[in-house]
Amino acid sequence: MNKTASQLQQRLLAFLGGAPDDFDALAREVFAFQFERNPAYRAFCESKKIAPNRLTHWTQIPAVPTRAFKEMTLTCFPPHEAVAEFHTSGTTQSHTGRHLFKTLALYDAGCVPQFRAHLFADGARMPIVSLVPDTPHSSLAHMCRTLGARFVERLEATNEPVCLLGTAFHFLTLFDNGLVLRLPAGSRVMETGGFKGRTREISKPALYEMFEKHLGIPPTRVVNEYGMTELSTQFYDETMRVGHRSDLKRSPPWARVRVIDPQTDEDAPVGATGLLRIYDLANLWSVMCIQTEDLGIRMGDGFVLLGRAPGAMPRGCSLNAEALQNA
Amino acid sequence: MSATPLQIQDAIRRARAARDFVQQHRRTEAVIEALAAAAKSWLPATSPWRAQAVERVPAASGFSPAMVHEAIDRIFGAITTESLAALLEREFGDRRVLDEFRPHGRGQARAMGVPVILHLLAGNVPPPAIHSILCGLLVRSGNVVRMSRRDPVFPRLFLESVQAADPDLSRCVELLEWPREETALTQAALARADAVIAHGDDSTIAALRRMSPPGAAFIGYGQKVSFAYVCREMMTAEQLPALAALAADDVSVYDQQGCLSPHVFYVEERGALGPRKFAAALAEAMAAFQARIPRGKLSVEEAAAVNTTRSGYEFRAASDRRVAVWSSQQPNDWVVIYEDNPSFEPSCLNRVVFVKPTDGEPRVLEGIARFASYISTVGVAPMSDRMQEFARQLAALGVHRVCPIGQMQRPPLWWFHDGKPNLMPLVRWTELG
Repeated sequence: MNKTASQLQQRLLAFLGGAPDDFDALAREVFAFQFERNPAYRAFCESKKIAPNRLTHWTQIPAVPTRAFKEMTLTCFPPHEAVAEFHTSGTTQSHTGRHLFKTLALYDAGCVPQFRAHLFADGARMPIVSLVPDTPHSSLAHMCRTLGARFVERLEATNEPVCLLGTAFHFLTLFDNGLVLRLPAGSRVMETGGFKGRTREISKPALYEMFEKHLGIPPTRVVNEYGMTELSTQFYDETMRVGHRSDLKRSPPWARVRVIDPQTDEDAPVGATGLLRIYDLANLWSVMCIQTEDLGIRMGDGFVLLGRAPGAMPRGCSLNAEALQNA
Repeated sequence: MSATPLQIQDAIRRARAARDFVQQHRRTEAVIEALAAAAKSWLPATSPWRAQAVERVPAASGFSPAMVHEAIDRIFGAITTESLAALLEREFGDRRVLDEFRPHGRGQARAMGVPVILHLLAGNVPPPAIHSILCGLLVRSGNVVRMSRRDPVFPRLFLESVQAADPDLSRCVELLEWPREETALTQAALARADAVIAHGDDSTIAALRRMSPPGAAFIGYGQKVSFAYVCREMMTAEQLPALAALAADDVSVYDQQGCLSPHVFYVEERGALGPRKFAAALAEAMAAFQARIPRGKLSVEEAAAVNTTRSGYEFRAASDRRVAVWSSQQPNDWVVIYEDNPSFEPSCLNRVVFVKPTDGEPRVLEGIARFASYISTVGVAPMSDRMQEFARQLAALGVHRVCPIGQMQRPPLWWFHDGKPNLMPLVRWTELG
């Protein structure tokens, strides 16, 4: 690692650790770094006539669509130096996307405080239990490991409060299989992900009611996490910080989320639905600005996640991509 | 507003009674005249049906007013006494078999429209709804129609125009609305149907087929996809602009939401101009079409799909010379994507089209074999002997229609929609002698 890179990483680590810094200035430095070192990204920026010396604000940094991770390796270092790689689950596209990491230091530095701030704002201490399978290329599994979670295949009764981590689909499957436990007061849940491509879908409010019925955990102690393979930072709803169900998610100081009107490519008005565009400085070694395929709504100083925009809307008689794949 | 079970029952009873009356008091000639007159009444610029459709359809369907005008010209311009006669003749030979016993093959026979046809419409594009009702009326059946939420306007106005031409005939059609999810209502309607015409996705069709009475004829129109093929001899500077304009027409009409809309243009290599030039010319023609007939309003999900597709390919195009993207100033009005990769790529619709180079028909045939049963229409240019041979191979795979580029969205009234006769399943025959 040369000096500039290590300085930048040190500065980011400090920022993630709580030191004050200027997001705009740092974002532009990270962009300049990535523009310099990632030829595919640089070519894309140049095609849009954007270069570091022409930027006046972080919002002008070009976003990389998530599907680009399926088609190429987007790194600012030689790929063979990667210490970890996370893969997308590939439920919606035939290819899987890969996110390579030169170091997990930034990922881990952001992961723990974000989780604590949203699930342990009350200062409680309890075991963390993961229902997410411990697989090598899953960013979610890595997150669970970083949080010190114990991986389990099934849930058992306990006298101590616990913090459960799992995907919405994991939990739904447990509930559908008839699991009923009365977990001690203070227990809490972090659930993540949707049901896309799964056989059964239910609404989030219906799922939250099931937590109460099957585990004795009230909806006010269930927190939704939004993370993705292509990012190094996670976003959580405010439920446990404010003490009532809230779908609002706020960014930590080192990230920003914009809601983009897909029709104009500009910011969607407050209250309108658009595509989430995420600026994540912890993505120093890949790309910091990601255009997701997830829809959300801008609310106050945060956003509400709605979930994955359907790949191709089946409208009447035209065959869509998914149906074609299954043909 | 959703129909109630009682309303559905009443509608069926009324349609059946009106059918009995019309079977007795109208002959096929009169029905043809009435339907042609109704269609003709849509065509003048001052037509009241046209005015109402242009005012009301955009809000329900999203199509632009100019697209609605274009739809009216296409749909109702194609319904004439000649084309109606041709439709009947194609399926029955002698159309008077619908009126009386006629020599038929070696014997005598007459055909009679079944008492009640249930039409379950999809509503992504207007033509199938009109065509479906038209067929039911031609055979003088009773027609109970569940309209789509997205197109409650065209069927209603069409029926009003039929009413102006022949009120008794129009009483053979009952238009209703109820949500697709209300399967109990659908079941109630199905139970009394003698024939069912269903439009929708494959799972919907399969479910409706299971729910239909065993004795009823079931005609399902499921999901389809279309593409086009350009031969190298067309790739000259003289021919390209006109060909691109026809291609843009095929893509853009109904904002690419129909099953006749092409998703991909395969363009042969080794012409005077290369396939990439076709993509550039198509982009120019898409812009011209957009200026004349703007794309309709998209839901945020649809706009997101277009945006995501476009930006994904733009990213690749910046560093991959096998990919190029052309798009409108307003980023999502239309997108042309050139990709040097022969695999078939379904579009996210709404005027997003792929252009792919190919070294010839065998490669394309190989690529589509897996989903050939889903292919509706293949547009070709030119309609040469070589393309007729290609058509034979496509037919062997089960493709429903091969036509010149520029005609993909203009199937004749008498075409076998999705490879099936239109009227035959709607009648019952009586043999004499």
